Amino acid sequence: MSKVVDVDIALSILDHQLVDADGKNCGKVDDLEITGLEGDAPEVVEILVGGSAWRSRALFGRLAASLSGDAVHVPWHEVDSVTSVVRLRRPASELRLDRGDDRWARIIGKVPGS
Amino acid sequence: MSLRKVLAVALGILSAIGGFVDIGDLVFNTQAGATVGFQLLWVVVIGVLGITVYSEMCGRVSAVAKRPVFDLVRERTGFGAGLATLVASEVVNLMTCAAEVGGVAITLQLLAGLPYRVLIPLGVLGLVLCAWVLPFEWLERTFGYLGLCLLVFAVAAIKLHPDWGQVAHGFVPGSHHGGSLLVYLYFAVGLLGAAMTPYEVYFYSSGAVEDGWGPKDLGLNKVTAILGYTLGGFLSFSLMIVAAVVFLPQGITPELLGTPPLVAADVLGQVGLLLALVGILFAVGGAAIETSFSGAYNLAQFFGWRWGKKERHAGAPRFTLAWLVMFALAMVIVMTGVDPVKLTEYSVIFSVVALPLTYLPILLIANDRAYMGGHVNGKFANVLGVVYLVIILVIAVAAIPLMILTNGGQG
Repeated sequence: MSKVVDVDIALSILDHQLVDADGKNCGKVDDLEITGLEGDAPEVVEILVGGSAWRSRALFGRLAASLSGDAVHVPWHEVDSVTSVVRLRRPASELRLDRGDDRWARIIGKVPGS
Repeated sequence: MSLRKVLAVALGILSAIGGFVDIGDLVFNTQAGATVGFQLLWVVVIGVLGITVYSEMCGRVSAVAKRPVFDLVRERTGFGAGLATLVASEVVNLMTCAAEVGGVAITLQLLAGLPYRVLIPLGVLGLVLCAWVLPFEWLERTFGYLGLCLLVFAVAAIKLHPDWGQVAHGFVPGSHHGGSLLVYLYFAVGLLGAAMTPYEVYFYSSGAVEDGWGPKDLGLNKVTAILGYTLGGFLSFSLMIVAAVVFLPQGITPELLGTPPLVAADVLGQVGLLLALVGILFAVGGAAIETSFSGAYNLAQFFGWRWGKKERHAGAPRFTLAWLVMFALAMVIVMTGVDPVKLTEYSVIFSVVALPLTYLPILLIANDRAYMGGHVNGKFANVLGVVYLVIILVIAVAAIPLMILTNGGQG
């Protein structure tokens, strides 16, 4: 998507599902990094996913954030399209969005019939 | 519609009937029947209509938006409210799952005669193996069809020749006479809670997405929700009638899960007993699987993980891990020796408290054109939806005070 985005549209994707280039779920839009809020040309720079990204989200979020690691930062230019989900241009692994599922996939994958 | 399609729909409805009853219905319907007779039959009707209305909405949201309800709960209500809903629903899911696991162990004990504590892990192992190996449809159908053995209670109810005039009178709302009003109200709240348990709608909507429902399945959704739950309601009536005829005159409160099957044995002999036990085993076992999956669906959908039973287990690893952990925790809870019937009562009453958190977002989403386009709620669904929301709010406030005041329905 173009680099200059309407901040209102960007804010409306908060809490939406992220889907990677392979069509796999890879987290939610937990927070957004916006620059130039004081000026007249605010711009969305990054999507923040997981961990510390919850810190800004309500009381519960602070608690959840303190129990988990750092957020993953996804630059806005990696966003392919915004519909009811936010589709990314690359597979989750290239954006480091697969850490949770891939780690557990190695363990679960060892069980017969998985 | 082709014959093949009619058959498929009929089979789906049958499994919905068999899957309707869980340990909450078993406990509250028999206890209510044993305590206040036929007087609360009308509440079952209200409960069944409520779950029908909201399941239909959930199924419609899944078919149109192609996304399950919990996925949209966070999107629609935000992180804070979504997380609060998640925590509440997970607590209720876990308590319910533990109660169902306890029910499985008790039923196995009655069938096999082995010690209860040995049968808890064995029962959980059996359920986990079924959930691991069987594909989604097989899982739903196997437990649904075998749960239909519970129809033995309908046969027993007829064979007991209840006073049908009095039974009919029980369908008249508000017909309270004799006994404590608070106890009557406590059981009314419990029956509504047991019929409208949150995990059922979460499971139904995720199942619809897993089955790949689209707008063409909206008719199927309506028929399955209406017929499956309505006919399932007849199982609830049967349990209550049986308890009212057999237990009430003798002053027996069925504190044990093994008491209702004895009635089937009394009326229909060994075969009746066996059918009743097999029916309870699969109805409760199926519900244990549904609650554990419901827990995993909600967690995965809140955090945006890969999820689904249709995926290979390693393809949705955190989802798989989540339902395994649900089973493990449920097993630990039951192994502490807590009485499964008491646990059921608590889980149903707490689920009533959490009901508004489940049903309000569903109503909001089903009315949101951004998700639903032309398939938003019609007037009929909205009037019923709002009426039920009011009922839910009232019983959510009343549930815990009533439980304390009546000492769990014992007066």
